[in-house]
Amino acid sequence: MDDRIAKIYVPMTETGFYILYCLITPQHGYGIARQVEWMTNGEVTIGAGTMYGTLSKMEKDGLIEFDHEEEKRRLYRITPLGREVLERELKRIERLYLNSRGEKVNG
Amino acid sequence: MAERVTKLAVFTIADFKEEERWLREKAREGLRFVRMIVPCFYVFERVEPEDVIYRLDFRDAQEGADYERMLEDFGWESCGNCMGWGYWRRSAAETAGDGEELFSDDESRLGMVKRVLQTRLLPLMTIFLCCVLPSLVRAINGELYGASRFFLCFFGLMAALYIYLFVHCGGKLLRMRRELEKKD
Repeated sequence: MDDRIAKIYVPMTETGFYILYCLITPQHGYGIARQVEWMTNGEVTIGAGTMYGTLSKMEKDGLIEFDHEEEKRRLYRITPLGREVLERELKRIERLYLNSRGEKVNG
Repeated sequence: MAERVTKLAVFTIADFKEEERWLREKAREGLRFVRMIVPCFYVFERVEPEDVIYRLDFRDAQEGADYERMLEDFGWESCGNCMGWGYWRRSAAETAGDGEELFSDDESRLGMVKRVLQTRLLPLMTIFLCCVLPSLVRAINGELYGASRFFLCFFGLMAALYIYLFVHCGGKLLRMRRELEKKD
């Protein structure tokens, strides 16, 4: 992962994290939005413009790639670089969680 | 066919929030937005009063069919494009899920403000500095078409209009940008 990608995506926005996480399975924007709504019980919602912009940006940066098209809907999937970013972010969130419980991170 | 009504209203590139509110007010009065005619005419058709949310999105490049498809999936109906601005609407009663906004985070809101600044305000400034201002100077010096008073007035008015637009739009857009960046 180069510095530019790390600078933009670590730490990630909540929207970015959920979108990247959902793309472990190929999906289109609306599908991601519904999944996020379901997973968070409606606490996190992603607007259409935000979804479109984030997907375009992540595709350009190589975190996700085009999978196939269904009725003019573009389906994306995560790339190895995207997984690397996601892993790093998950470690960070885990650390935050452990620390918030008063626990120390074990190296 | 429904009766058509044309209204005149001036909204600059920095007044999109006001424009959205105005279109919603018109919908409540029973005027359904049909299309826009550059620079400041809005065509409506008369319908039953309804509560409709309008949102504007600014895209500098032509987006593919997938863009429209995605917004439609989310429940937005396109009501045309005008000079890079996409007009979208949805019934206020049907704003379940992703709510009333096209943009749900500051990063994407900031992205739109930046697009407007870069692709609208910068070219405007270039035209001003390269065409309007030099012409005005030449008109003042009497070098333009035999020192015609008409050209002096014309370029003087143009310059005044441009300066007003820069101050108004530039100030407002930069303020929006600052506020959105501050929250990060």
